[in-house]
Amino acid sequence: MTANFIYFSIFLASVATYCCRAFGIFSAKNVSVDSAIFQWIKCISVGIISAVIAKIILFPAGLLAETSFSSRLFSTGVAVAIYFLFKKNVLLSIFVSTMTFFFINFYI
Amino acid sequence: MFSSLSFKKGISHAIGIPVIGLGTSMFAFGAYLKSSGFDLLQSLSSTLFTFALPGQFVMAETIVAGGTFLNIFLAVLLTNARLYPMTVNLIPIIRHPNYPKWKYYCLAHVIAVTAWFNMLAVHKKLPQEDKFDYFLGLGGFLWMSSVVCTVLGYLISHLVSHEILVGFVFINPIYFLIMTLSNLIEKKLIFSIITGAILSVILFHYIPDWSVLIGGLVAGTLGFIIFRKETYDS
Repeated sequence: MTANFIYFSIFLASVATYCCRAFGIFSAKNVSVDSAIFQWIKCISVGIISAVIAKIILFPAGLLAETSFSSRLFSTGVAVAIYFLFKKNVLLSIFVSTMTFFFINFYI
Repeated sequence: MFSSLSFKKGISHAIGIPVIGLGTSMFAFGAYLKSSGFDLLQSLSSTLFTFALPGQFVMAETIVAGGTFLNIFLAVLLTNARLYPMTVNLIPIIRHPNYPKWKYYCLAHVIAVTAWFNMLAVHKKLPQEDKFDYFLGLGGFLWMSSVVCTVLGYLISHLVSHEILVGFVFINPIYFLIMTLSNLIEKKLIFSIITGAILSVILFHYIPDWSVLIGGLVAGTLGFIIFRKETYDS
């Protein structure tokens, strides 16, 4: 792969990404926060994000693919449990979950 | 009119958990690009001009796998298509007549999951005229810090053990998950979130490239239809 190939790939990736954002701005011009379509889009947004999270945790690519399925699933459960058990403490749940993941994969 | 106070408040919102949640993954991404044969300027450019990690990762993977320009464009478009409904959802929340259309097209570049979730969490407490600049500070700071973290990951990842890098990558999806849980207020959102996750897992076995989009679209539409009588809470 040449340098020019990589730069043009980055350009294409940036254009593809910006298109999604710009088309969103364009489509939003007649959408108000009181409308049904706004509520529908909100549901779709969180639905897609939860789908992304599930895919990253259950079927990861890259570095996470080196780790065990059960460690990712268990650590995710720990994050959820800590979040609700400790008054929705975001930092604590992320920290404990990541440490759990780390120790299961590399020290057990 | 630009409000530097709102802009600074947005920046201070970003400093802390949001920047850690995103920055650690960008650091690991910088390390990944280095190990994949990218140079420093290419790594910096990727985060500077794309700023949407899953799409950046897909781009790098497709290049390494020997994909064509068309493969790369379509793969990134599909991966980052989630930004479309997120943007449609965000703009009505921050819109104010003081700001001309072109400014929204500039702001669009910093719309990403971390900034979006954090803005949704606080927007009701902000005056309408301050929301644009607040989001500019929040998203803009996350964007710039992501560029710095990618560069740092490229330059100094050899000082960090492989195990720590793997741990860094795990922080981001967990952070997104926790931010998603913080949105579990309305029944239609709870339904959409749970169903979206389940459908994407099922569909992954049949249509892996489309599982996220179709799973999220179907889940969100069902959630909206089933709970359409629920009181709106923008």
